Amino acid sequence: MNRYKMCMIPALPLENVQLMKDRVVFPYACFRAFGESLRLVTKSTGNYPYLSYLEGAQLVTLPEEQPHMEAAVHYVSEHADEIDLLFLFGARGEYMELAPTYKALRPDGILYLKLDANIDWMSALPLFHKPFADFLQSCDIISCESRLLQTLLYKKWQRPVEYIPNGVYYPLYPATDDVRYEEKENIILTVGRLGDVQKNSLLLLYAYALAFPNLKESWELVMVGSITPEFQADYEDFCKRFPPLAPHVRLTGNIADKQELYRYYKKAKVFALSSCGEGGSPNVFSEAAVFGCSVITTGVDAAADMTDNGRVGRISPDLEDFDGYAKELTALCNDADYLARNFHEMRTYIKEYFDYERLADRLRMLIELQALKRRSS
Amino acid sequence: MITKITDTCISLEDGTETFTLLEKPVFPHFHDNVTKRPYISSYYEAGESIWAYCQASLETLADLCHDDPCFGCYAMIFRRLFPLLLSSGQAKNVISYGLPADHGACQVFQNFMSFLQEGNALTALPQSIFSFVSLNAHTGHAFLYYLDAFPSPAAVCDAICKVKPGGILILYTIKETLPAELTALCARAEKDSFSACTLYTLTVNEAIMEYAHENGTEAFLLCRSAEITKRANDLQPLLQALLAGAALPDDARLIAAAILQQTEEILLSVYDFLENDELPIRANNLKEAILNYSVGINGSYDLTAYLEKLTQASETFFTAIQKEFS
Repeated sequence: MNRYKMCMIPALPLENVQLMKDRVVFPYACFRAFGESLRLVTKSTGNYPYLSYLEGAQLVTLPEEQPHMEAAVHYVSEHADEIDLLFLFGARGEYMELAPTYKALRPDGILYLKLDANIDWMSALPLFHKPFADFLQSCDIISCESRLLQTLLYKKWQRPVEYIPNGVYYPLYPATDDVRYEEKENIILTVGRLGDVQKNSLLLLYAYALAFPNLKESWELVMVGSITPEFQADYEDFCKRFPPLAPHVRLTGNIADKQELYRYYKKAKVFALSSCGEGGSPNVFSEAAVFGCSVITTGVDAAADMTDNGRVGRISPDLEDFDGYAKELTALCNDADYLARNFHEMRTYIKEYFDYERLADRLRMLIELQALKRRSS
Repeated sequence: MITKITDTCISLEDGTETFTLLEKPVFPHFHDNVTKRPYISSYYEAGESIWAYCQASLETLADLCHDDPCFGCYAMIFRRLFPLLLSSGQAKNVISYGLPADHGACQVFQNFMSFLQEGNALTALPQSIFSFVSLNAHTGHAFLYYLDAFPSPAAVCDAICKVKPGGILILYTIKETLPAELTALCARAEKDSFSACTLYTLTVNEAIMEYAHENGTEAFLLCRSAEITKRANDLQPLLQALLAGAALPDDARLIAAAILQQTEEILLSVYDFLENDELPIRANNLKEAILNYSVGINGSYDLTAYLEKLTQASETFFTAIQKEFS
């Protein structure tokens, strides 16, 4: 098997927390699967303690005195012969110079762009701007994170776009090995920046209130994440309006300790997403799924992918339909058999289609196909 | 670049270079004029002569388009159209592609043509591959094609097919080099070149028409359809064997994926003409299902779900292909 010298260059300088996100974790999984080396090239934004989780990866710090992308282009110009596979993240204008620079120096190299995009963003791309079109054209492999977006891009770009979802790198989740459904509790969990417009947290809060009287058993709503002052006020208002519900709704605040967060995933039977602007499936979905939570989500781009078209989860399509969301939530919480069965179904589904080690293996084959294509042309 | 207009000559000038566009005919040749308008000033008839209108038209063209980098092309097109428009009293149909209908050059050409004969038409096509589809074959006396707007050899051939035998196709460009696939065709053309502007004028004869038929969009689509069908036919038994769990060489799955990748690219190359515009993504989905199945085999994972998805994707793809191409 060919082993590749890999390099990942973000459009903007990496932050420590991003070392555990898709932009880095997927390249890292590829490195472990078929890489000779992996360099993360970025201007420094501080310390990177999470680098300790990425054994073998090398962080290359770009000089401070130059803007990030200018320095990155310079780096690629100097080191192109040491990069067989270049990972880019996001269809961003920042890459317009970098991508052609790499391809000019390494026409035999592979340029892989993971789009990390939603439909709204992709619909707004300046495809008629030649440098931008050339950037996309120079990418050997482009992937997006939802099938809905993939369908749109085929129609819009008329070029191959692979579907590679945001996944899970299991070695980072040893805690999932000993999860048991019997230890789960009647907890509806959500994790995210509470009050952030994109997260649409009020929908979940009020849908829970609407569902509450119809739930056969007592269910608790646990909302994990940093809280905006606006949402804090909304929550307090909610507690005043629905005093009997207040004890059942818990805001934990941000939980930085991953092990503590995993304890919530382990205990929750249901994971709720109320977002209105996710592109691919969010990281928190993958985390919840590996812990066997059944998922309820709004109709974000990746809703069908996350739930295998409604098989391993429920979708409330309308982002503003409180009644609809409450109805789905009620049905999910009241179906104890489904929740028990789906614990295994969800874990199997996520393992089969969202495991970064398997996705890396697929990317390796896509790269082999590129090599075959080049040889035949 | 400027237009120099005298009583007897109209020319383009750029620095020390000169290109003669038209010369006023000398009296003995005035019988060449078969139009109702007088070619040159007549001793016996009052009214504006063709020559006078030519002078005025090229003056207007210069006024409207002197800043346009294609100005030289328009002037040379006028020169090439001139004998064609005067060749008979038959109304002329001139088709233009790549030049907006409200462009100054279009207005000048149309005014001049209307002056010669009321029924003369200049049709400026919108910039779309479907523009040509809507035209009948052999309907134009001349086709003006701006190469830089759409340098597609197949489209140029389609344009040729719209020209009457004996008519002309004028390709114009301000680029230094021609697309490689058009070099052979343009070698058969008369070339006018001045400053950055170049014109290739092809008189449509049998040989040119045959070449156009062989290389036009219709032939391209037929060829691509055959390639797609061939690949689908190659793929089907291979997939059936995969799904049946037959013993196959190690690289069989990668070969199947490679065939699908080629199919996907061919489908995308004819995307605008597909009835089912989801065919390319169906090919991609099937390729993905094969690769996932390979991942399952490589990792010794449970293959049940992968086989199920592969079966589904395969059925969807072949049903769609059959519907589209049979």
